[in-house]
Parts: sequence; structure tokens; C-alpha cells
Amino acid sequence: MSRRGFDPASLVAGIAVSALGVVLLLDQVDAIDLGFGYLAPALLAVVGSILLAVGLTGRR
Amino acid sequence: MSGMTAARAQPPPLRRDREGALLGGVCAGLGRRLGIDPIIVRVAFIAAAAAGGTGLVAYALAWALLPAEGEARGPVLRVPGGRDSLSVAAGIGMLVLALLLLFRQWGLWVGDALVWPVVLAAAGGGLIWRQSARAADPAPARDAPARPGGRSALGRAALGVALVVGAALIFLYFNDALGPARDVLLPVVVVLVAGTLILAPWWIRLVRGLADERAERIRSQERAELAAHLHDSVLQTLALMQRRAGDPREVAGLARRQERELRAWLNGGRPIAERGTLAAALELAAAEVEEAHAVPVDVVTVGDAALDGDAEALLAAAREAMVNAAKFGRGAVSVYAGVDEQEVEVFVRDRGPGFDVDDVPADRRGLRESIVGRMRRHGGTAEIRSVAGEGTEVELRMRRA
Repeated sequence: MSRRGFDPASLVAGIAVSALGVVLLLDQVDAIDLGFGYLAPALLAVVGSILLAVGLTGRR
Repeated sequence: MSGMTAARAQPPPLRRDREGALLGGVCAGLGRRLGIDPIIVRVAFIAAAAAGGTGLVAYALAWALLPAEGEARGPVLRVPGGRDSLSVAAGIGMLVLALLLLFRQWGLWVGDALVWPVVLAAAGGGLIWRQSARAADPAPARDAPARPGGRSALGRAALGVALVVGAALIFLYFNDALGPARDVLLPVVVVLVAGTLILAPWWIRLVRGLADERAERIRSQERAELAAHLHDSVLQTLALMQRRAGDPREVAGLARRQERELRAWLNGGRPIAERGTLAAALELAAAEVEEAHAVPVDVVTVGDAALDGDAEALLAAAREAMVNAAKFGRGAVSVYAGVDEQEVEVFVRDRGPGFDVDDVPADRRGLRESIVGRMRRHGGTAEIRSVAGEGTEVELRMRRA
């Protein structure tokens, strides 16, 4: 039986990707207008926060 | 008793943890106080900062009001080394870029001609600063991962310099100042190139000569170290064996001890007694049994684990099994220990006459208590298999915490 501890990097990655999904969904239902000027920073922020969490928790 | 339990359960006081700090140690201290990973607190602060800036205010207040604890290390030195540092750097870079693009989109922008050169110069300066900070760190932890090699450190420093120079050139270009600067720089560059072409052959020869001399010095030091070690260990043991030639058992014991020491040295490990792990402790126990009973005990270990309470019980049971094998077996005793993420297993085998496990008298506590009972008390198992005329095998298993 494998015992795996809590992984903060996975939590950050999950929250970041979920937040991006919510934003894209809001754009799809025309609740917000998401142009490239906002989409690019959002994508960068998601990837950046995942990389930061992975690096800080020393996952590899 | 209950008072003691309550005192033990008391969480640590709320302090800024400067040893685990990335900035001011607020999140590390809060995480320690709440008993959770500091990164969760950091995520909460970042989320609160993004949602109206309350996180920033709260962090600043906590930084100002909470007393600090622990030895402070610069935030640069807290960033992990190796590939993790690349992840951290890339992550920070992307977050900063995202923030800048967002400000640009909102119109909070002082112009491309200023911001992008400043960003590049900051990145380059950060690289140079980090390299110099790591180089100046006088006492790295003994078990810390090895520092990256000099060549990659030099590469990072060169990249930092290139970024700063590139930022300066871009700034000059955007502000139409590159033309006059070129008029000044061009003669300097031409003179430098000419000088380099003239002096390059001597310089290369000098560098090669220094490198050869350094390599020769290192080789000579290694030879001297090897000779000193051989003199202190092998030659001394050989001299002792010549003097004790009349006692074959003692000679065999001396040879085995020397063999163990030489193997440990060749494997580049620290002395067994200093390692404090299960594998090292098993080797130490085997050496003691071997010395006490004049029977060779061969130890093979795959993997290793820290010597905690359960591992100490397993070690004591294995030692008892080795003593039994040495006392009642014939010839060498073999010990195999395997450690993986879930379990530790140890097998102790001998080629003795064997015995019927059910016939062991109840008052023989060595087998029942020191091996089986001890393993059971610590949540492990002990199985003894013995075949008449073929030998005995004791199998010990313990789940890892």
C-alpha cells in the first residue's frame, strides 16, 4: 500500500488551472470579454504559479 | 501525565520563521503555528493580495508586528538549487511578465522604451546577484545538494552580464542614443579585438599551463592521500597479521575487519559509525558479531533508511539472529537487507545443522522474545525457517512509517 503525503504543488496547479477554466467558461457564456491582452497574462500566470510551486516544494 | 500530554500538544508560538523564510518569514511562521505547509499560507496571501490587495496589507502588518525567530538567511539563498531553481526562476519570471502585460493592458504603463530594458536588466542583475550570493555562502549544509559546477555558474553569470548589457543597448536604441554611443564604443572594440588577436596565443598557452599544473598538483595530493591511508590501515594490519601468524582465527578476524574498512573507504562513504542509518548499523552489528564469535558475517544491503525506533527494534532482532547463526551455525553467516518505500526486510541465513522451531524450549528467550516478540511489539513480523542439515533462515519484516 503506497502512502503519499500532501503535495502543495498539486494543490497550486489544481487551483490555477481551475481558475483559468472558470475564466474561459465566463468568456464562453459572454459574461466577460476575454481578449488576447488578458488571456496571455492569465496563461502566463497559471504556468508561472505551477512552476513556482513545483520549484519551491522540490518535487523533482 | 495529562499535563505532560497537554504541554506536548501545545503548538509553537506565533513568530516569523526566518530560517524557512522566502521574504519576511510570515508565511513560514504561520504555517508552523497552524501545522500546515507554508506554501498553503503563501497561496492564501497571494490570492488575498490579488483580490484587492488585502493580502499585502496583512503581510506587511504581520511582518511589522510579529517577533522574528531563527537565523536569517537571504531570500536568494533560500531558493533551492539545481533544476528546482530553474523552475522557481521561470515561475517568478512568468508571473512578473503576466503582471507587466496586465498593467500594459490597463494603461498603467510608462512606455516600452523604459519598462522592457528595466525588466531585462533586473533579470540579469538577479542572476549575477544570485551567483555572487551563493559563491559567498561560507558554510553550506553538509547534506545539501552539490553545487552546480564552475562552468555552469560561469555560464549563468555570463548570461546575467549579457542581459544587463542587452538591456542597456535596447534602452539606448529606444532613446536614439545608440548612434553617439557607437561612435565612442567602436574604436574601443576595434582596439580590444586587435589586442585579443595579438595576445590570444600567449594567453591560451598560459591558461593551459596553469590547468596542467593544477591537475598535476591534484594528482600528487591524491597519491599522497592514498599512500597515507594505505600506510595507516592496510600496511599496519599486514604487520599485525605477521606478528599474530600463529593464531589463524585472529588473523582471519584482522583480515575481515581490514576488508570492511577498505570497502567502506573505496565506496567513498563516511565511517560506518558516523552514518546513523539502518544499513550502517547492520554492518556495524555484523562486524561486532564477527569479532565476538570469529565467524565471517557477510552483509548485503539494498536501499537504506533512517535509524528510528522501529528500525532500531529490527536491528536488535537482526543482531540476535546473527548471534544465533554465529553460535549454532557452521561457516559464514549471510545477511541481506532490502529497504523500499513501504517496507524493510532482513534475512539472516546460516548453513548450520538446523533445528525444529516447535521444539525450542519455552525458556529460550533469544528466539521467542528478542526476535519474534520484539518484532511483533513494533508491528513487524519474524519468520524462522529451518531445515535439518541445510541451515536456518530468519526473515524479519517491518513496514515503514
